[in-house]
Amino acid sequence: MLLKNKTALITGSNRGIGLSILKCFAEQGCNILAHSRREDLDFIRVTEEISKDYNVDISLIYFDLEDSSAIKSAMRSIFKAKMPIDILVNSAGIIHGGLFQMTPICDIRKVLDVNLFGMLEVTQLVCKYMVRKKTGSIINISSVAGIDLSPGNSAYGLSKAAVIAFSKTLSAELSTYGIRVNVVAPSLTDTDMAATDQAKKERQLLTDATDHFVRMAQPNEIADLVCFLASDKSAFINGQVIRIDGGNKF
Amino acid sequence: MNNEKLYIQAFVDAFEIDESEVSDLEYESIQNWDSVGHMMLMAGLEEAFDIMLEMEDIIDFSGFSRGKELLAKYDILV
Repeated sequence: MLLKNKTALITGSNRGIGLSILKCFAEQGCNILAHSRREDLDFIRVTEEISKDYNVDISLIYFDLEDSSAIKSAMRSIFKAKMPIDILVNSAGIIHGGLFQMTPICDIRKVLDVNLFGMLEVTQLVCKYMVRKKTGSIINISSVAGIDLSPGNSAYGLSKAAVIAFSKTLSAELSTYGIRVNVVAPSLTDTDMAATDQAKKERQLLTDATDHFVRMAQPNEIADLVCFLASDKSAFINGQVIRIDGGNKF
Repeated sequence: MNNEKLYIQAFVDAFEIDESEVSDLEYESIQNWDSVGHMMLMAGLEEAFDIMLEMEDIIDFSGFSRGKELLAKYDILV
């Protein structure tokens, strides 16, 4: 098992790619601090089943990424309980699409608050723990939208581009402590987010295609890569941005 | 270990120096107290005293003496 005896904090683990990462990590023997914004009975049930199936500990952590005090309070409780954090996966995020000229600035701020600033706050607190241990692996989920920056990406694409820039900087700063930082940039992935209106056009293109690789990514495909980057199998991979898109570009 | 010993030990561990070298130390006064060493010290103090330092205090932590004043804000008397 790739992640036996490790503990990972996964943000946004209650759905989509985050949930898939949670399952993949559990299969590989990882104990998990499973974050979601709020308590959800279905999610509690799912994590209890996964915990039992794979004999790993899964602790649920709730905080809103837009609430700085809530983030600090939650992280304080983790540190006070002496829960280790060997791996951090920043998977939580919200989607937004639309031309810049038709996007209220407050919408852009909200996307940045969740996708970037909330992520920065969590990471800054976890980093201090990892610095003490002189080890750790941080994987930030970006998007091809943050690289290709096609029309309609002044909020979501902007936030994901910032995730990439931040991750590269952080990798340069934390290398000295033996902590790796990498980015995974998926293309449109078959989750709730892909079912939204914002993703409709791209989803249609991918659904209608007949080429084997012209399709939506599957969450487990993203999770497998994240798992590899979290593990010691990728010990010399650091500061990288890895696209996972079937070789497509829209 | 009392608070003073814990405090001194954090410096000793972070900068790999002797106890006797600690009392007049200030940020960047020795090679090992650079920004990297600073974060190691902050991490060590947080663990030793079971506290979470605010960012403004991490930035303001300019020396051994100043550090004691800052820790008092967290009810840690050194």
